[in-house]
Amino acid sequence: MGKEESPQITRRVTRLSSSTAVTNNEVEPEKITKPYKPTLNDFVSGGEQLSFNDLLSSFPARGNQIRELLRLLGPVNSPMLPLFVYGDPSTGKTSTILQIFRYLNRPFVYASCRTCYSLQILFESVLNQLLLHKKNAANGYSSAKRCVKPSDFVNFLREDLTSVIEKLRSLKKLGSNKPAGKPNGNMLYLIFDNLELIREWDKSSSALPFMFNLYDVLKMHEVGLIFISNTSPDTYYSNMGYTEHVPVYFPEYTEDDLRQILMKNQANRKLYSSFLDVVLRPFCRSTRRVDELSTAFSPLFRKYCEPLSDLASVPNEEMKRRLFSHFRPHIAPSLNEIFWVPSKSSTEAEINKDTRQKGSTRKPEVGDHFAQIDFHMSTSAKYLLISAFLASRNPATLDASLFDSTGGSDSRKRKRKASEKSMEQKEVAEQELLMKGPGTFPLERLLAIFQCITSAADSLDEEEHENDVLRVGGDCGLMSDVLLQLSSLCNANFIIKGGSCPLEGSTRYRSTVSEDLALKVARNLKFPLPNYLYRR
Amino acid sequence: MAPSATAPESLSPSTTLDTTENNLQPFFVLHRARSRKSEKKPTGTWKTRRRIDLSPSLPKNGENLDAEKAEAWDDCRHVGIRMEAFDDVWSKIKSTIKDVLRDINTNVFNEIHHWVRESFNMITSFATPTFPEATGSFPMVTDAASKQLFTGLVLTKNMEFVDDLLTFEELGSYLKSQGCHVANLSSLEFSVKNGIGGCLRSLLRQFLMVALDAPDVSILATWYREQGSCNNPVVIIIEDMERCSGSVLSDFILMLSEWVLKIPVILIMGVATTLDAPKSILQSNALHHLCPCKFILGTPPERMDAVVEAVLVKQCSGFSISHKVAVFMRNYFVSQDGTLTSFIRALKIACAQHFFMEPLSFMLWFLLGDDNLMLQGEKYGLSPEMMLKHALNLPSYQSYGRNKIAKQQDETLVNGLAELKKLQCQWSTVILCLYEAGKCDKVTLLDLFCEALDPESFKSRAPDNGGGLENDSGVSSSDFYKHQQYHTTRKSGFICQAVQKLRDLPAVQLRKLLKGWEKYTVSAPQIHDKVKKLLSEVKFEDGKSLGQDLSTISKRHASRKHLKIEDSKAVNEKAAKLLESMVRNYMQPLECVPFHEIVCFKNVNALQTALIGDPRRRIQVDLLDVRNIIQCSCCISSSNTLLPSMHDSSIMYTLAQEHGDLINLHDWYQSFKSIVLCLSNKGKHGSNYSPSLKKRKATTEPAKPSEASIQARFCRAVTELQITGLLRMPSKRRPDYVQRVAFGL
Repeated sequence: MGKEESPQITRRVTRLSSSTAVTNNEVEPEKITKPYKPTLNDFVSGGEQLSFNDLLSSFPARGNQIRELLRLLGPVNSPMLPLFVYGDPSTGKTSTILQIFRYLNRPFVYASCRTCYSLQILFESVLNQLLLHKKNAANGYSSAKRCVKPSDFVNFLREDLTSVIEKLRSLKKLGSNKPAGKPNGNMLYLIFDNLELIREWDKSSSALPFMFNLYDVLKMHEVGLIFISNTSPDTYYSNMGYTEHVPVYFPEYTEDDLRQILMKNQANRKLYSSFLDVVLRPFCRSTRRVDELSTAFSPLFRKYCEPLSDLASVPNEEMKRRLFSHFRPHIAPSLNEIFWVPSKSSTEAEINKDTRQKGSTRKPEVGDHFAQIDFHMSTSAKYLLISAFLASRNPATLDASLFDSTGGSDSRKRKRKASEKSMEQKEVAEQELLMKGPGTFPLERLLAIFQCITSAADSLDEEEHENDVLRVGGDCGLMSDVLLQLSSLCNANFIIKGGSCPLEGSTRYRSTVSEDLALKVARNLKFPLPNYLYRR
Repeated sequence: MAPSATAPESLSPSTTLDTTENNLQPFFVLHRARSRKSEKKPTGTWKTRRRIDLSPSLPKNGENLDAEKAEAWDDCRHVGIRMEAFDDVWSKIKSTIKDVLRDINTNVFNEIHHWVRESFNMITSFATPTFPEATGSFPMVTDAASKQLFTGLVLTKNMEFVDDLLTFEELGSYLKSQGCHVANLSSLEFSVKNGIGGCLRSLLRQFLMVALDAPDVSILATWYREQGSCNNPVVIIIEDMERCSGSVLSDFILMLSEWVLKIPVILIMGVATTLDAPKSILQSNALHHLCPCKFILGTPPERMDAVVEAVLVKQCSGFSISHKVAVFMRNYFVSQDGTLTSFIRALKIACAQHFFMEPLSFMLWFLLGDDNLMLQGEKYGLSPEMMLKHALNLPSYQSYGRNKIAKQQDETLVNGLAELKKLQCQWSTVILCLYEAGKCDKVTLLDLFCEALDPESFKSRAPDNGGGLENDSGVSSSDFYKHQQYHTTRKSGFICQAVQKLRDLPAVQLRKLLKGWEKYTVSAPQIHDKVKKLLSEVKFEDGKSLGQDLSTISKRHASRKHLKIEDSKAVNEKAAKLLESMVRNYMQPLECVPFHEIVCFKNVNALQTALIGDPRRRIQVDLLDVRNIIQCSCCISSSNTLLPSMHDSSIMYTLAQEHGDLINLHDWYQSFKSIVLCLSNKGKHGSNYSPSLKKRKATTEPAKPSEASIQARFCRAVTELQITGLLRMPSKRRPDYVQRVAFGL
């Protein structure tokens, strides 16, 4: 900070400090050197004054909720019950509330449980805001008060709240003519966002009851509490005797709402509207979250506009039809695409071009292309991957029949007489296996399968390249650092180290490789994987 | 279980002293210090008596010493000086490797930086918050798209992560040099245990240089705004995304996405496997906040080829490896480890061992152009005569150079080395030409390199070339025969593949290829002329059929262009012939050249033990014949029987061999007890003849170990075996059995 202060800020500071010089000196007398001093004005969102119409027009489909909230908040300085605002993610809860407070110009303190990821940080964040304390280099980025326990928090909070409210009162008396940007009223609102995250913080679940009880504990009518949550109140409390919160529900947007929202701030409304005609309906079937839709639409709209030379042109019917026919093939794939990764690299395009050329000139080697793995793995890691896949897919009882007994036998064969089972039971078992997903296996079984596979592959290899000189040093054995490879496979998330088996206490593993990848790897090694797979 | 670390209590200190005196192993140094402390006056007598006991082993060691003394010079003294030379050579190789790797990444780094700047401009275009806005706790109200977090996914293309640690470090410092604020996070910071606080703490530590009790993103926002000018993005590099805990990473992303307007954060994540990895790790709501873009680093084989080219083919240091070593290192890379790091480590080990074992290794500098060979020799403690003598005794000179022995001897060495240098130069030129040709067919340089080093195949290629160094025989009738033979024997070779590829290369590519050759062959004038001639032919033809190249490729069947195709085919054939003759005449493997031992490391076994080690096997072998390692007096006499003076865990493991996979604890204990008690029984009869018994009596230990102490020893030994990973403790199902875990032996 210091000399390179942007002019805008200093201007603002001077304006503020001249107007609220009294409160400044009262609140933070020690920080005179700092160019920017937080003031009571920081309790309001700032910016230019918002009219009611602006408020309504910025949230096209939220008129009812806004009116409801305004009714609940009541006129200036009227006490209120705690509000519980809930609704699905990305339905505009937080932004609506923040804009309402900007419109009302009332002081509030906001804390998101996403940013404040633990009780301590949540408490300290609230207290810092109340004390107008900013963590910065001057104070070593520390909080104004250290606060870990909920009981401490209540005491500090009450103390700080009363002082702040006092100041607000005195401010009101001082300035009878209200300039813009001044806090309105002497009531302070505490907004807690993303409340659903608190449930995951501590399993003893003392935090949630505390938060809900806060209103009763504080017993201050000058404080309004607003909770914002993704989930409905039913998921939180169960008749524990709190003061009833007033629920405000933000319903999911309808298709028309979405259209209105998405149409906002578009340069060429006509064009975008024709674009939405095409895409909105299919996409609404899968998601109605504004953020998801807008991120999905922005590349699509670019694609939609591709054939247009002038983006400002107003589309007529004939043009719309043309655009649609051009655009139609892109809709279906993007519907299924959750995570699409574009590439900025120019070299890759060249490579692609190269491969395409090669594909045209050399047809017979198409099979090569399928055996390509996207990343490098050593041969023994590949074999290990395959054996883990086999160990997860095949029942342990079949190992002996699939592999030679020479390569090491599985000592823990489960006695299961398949012949005695009726067909129905078998089907149930199959269903169960399918539901369970890949099975777990002990390390020994994995190593035994690995040994079988590699010994088989070695003999196969030797037949193939009888006079290959490069295999001279190859017989040093694939076994030497298999355990290292195993750990790197675990790190790459191909094998998951599961919990230990309750009977034996040894670690069990589970392969998470998709069949596609396993087959790819096997093809790359020329290993006949399908022969070893047990098909149910 | 190093024998030096846990000396069995039955061994008296003076025994170990004796072994240390005779056997100069660095391992036993620790023991000597300890035994010297306990060496008091009375032990002197013991010592003399023990000497007599040891008599059978003494002469052997003495012989060794004599043999060593018979060497013309005392090697030990100069090893240190030679190791200094090794340091020089290795630092040169290391810097070469570093440069090569950096060059490979330069393009990608530039792309990433470009993208970072673009993304930053996008973020600032959404909103430019003022100071109070940016540091306030509540989010700014904007449209939903502005919550996107720009994320670069850097595909490292290697499942193993070691190679890329350095890459991300360099990427960080590169971006820093371009003005970005950079923090490198590793997966360790994204553990479930530390939660999101862990990564924030690390971030704040790197950006703010403070360690905080309760880290918080708002601090970062304040810090960023306090920087003054906010014209630079904050780049967070997460090195290995796959290893991160998915939930913590998702939380982190969600949190950052709320703050992205206040702190312009750009994420860069290293992805080791495929692009599916983020999808499988992250929660879907976090995934939606990412605005990804992918970048691809060089694949390990590409990097490997670049390193091989710079270090081994182009001879940056003069150091070289033999065919067998090369093949071993290649196989280790391909089938075992797959990281460049371990390849470089193997190279370093090879280089160090070469300097350690080869007295003339300092002459590497000569190959780099330092002519003052004799002076150098003096520096390394060799008189010129000794140097010559040693050089002329090298097996390669013995077998190849005998016919020239009549010449002036001191000149032979200098000339021989000059010759070696020249041949090496030619060899690498040809290899590079081959690589250029094989590139189109995805032949890796590493494979080519291994094949080209093979002395056997060279001999079979040119049987009459063995003795003469420069049998530059032109194209003769016998060549055709040789050529045929070459084809029949080496059908599957990579060299052959490269040559074959040349025959059906389209004309455009052929010309590019020949241009490349022209560049490579500047140092070898004979080849250079031929390449030039060929190139002019191609050019001439191009002039004739300008613009027909493309059609030649696409429409081969067109009959009216048949003639042209024939022409271009002829040029292809000529190029292939030229390459073949180059391979035949100039690519003489190092191991066929006299004096190659000076520059070439050949001992593949030493390298293998140093590199792989195979500790599991080693432990088992060592436990089974412990007497080879602890050469104490009591065990040396009896060949195979178990003695109570042996180490407990060694006794136990030997006993365990008699059982199957499952060992009954009771039986095991009984046999262990019988062995241990055998000593005290013997001790009672054997009076004070046995020194170890004397020792026992001297100490506080009772003559007959009590049942309790045997049990304690048994338990300790079992635990030791478990810790070394040879045993598994009794399970609940079978409480009185332990299971042997024996794989790989």
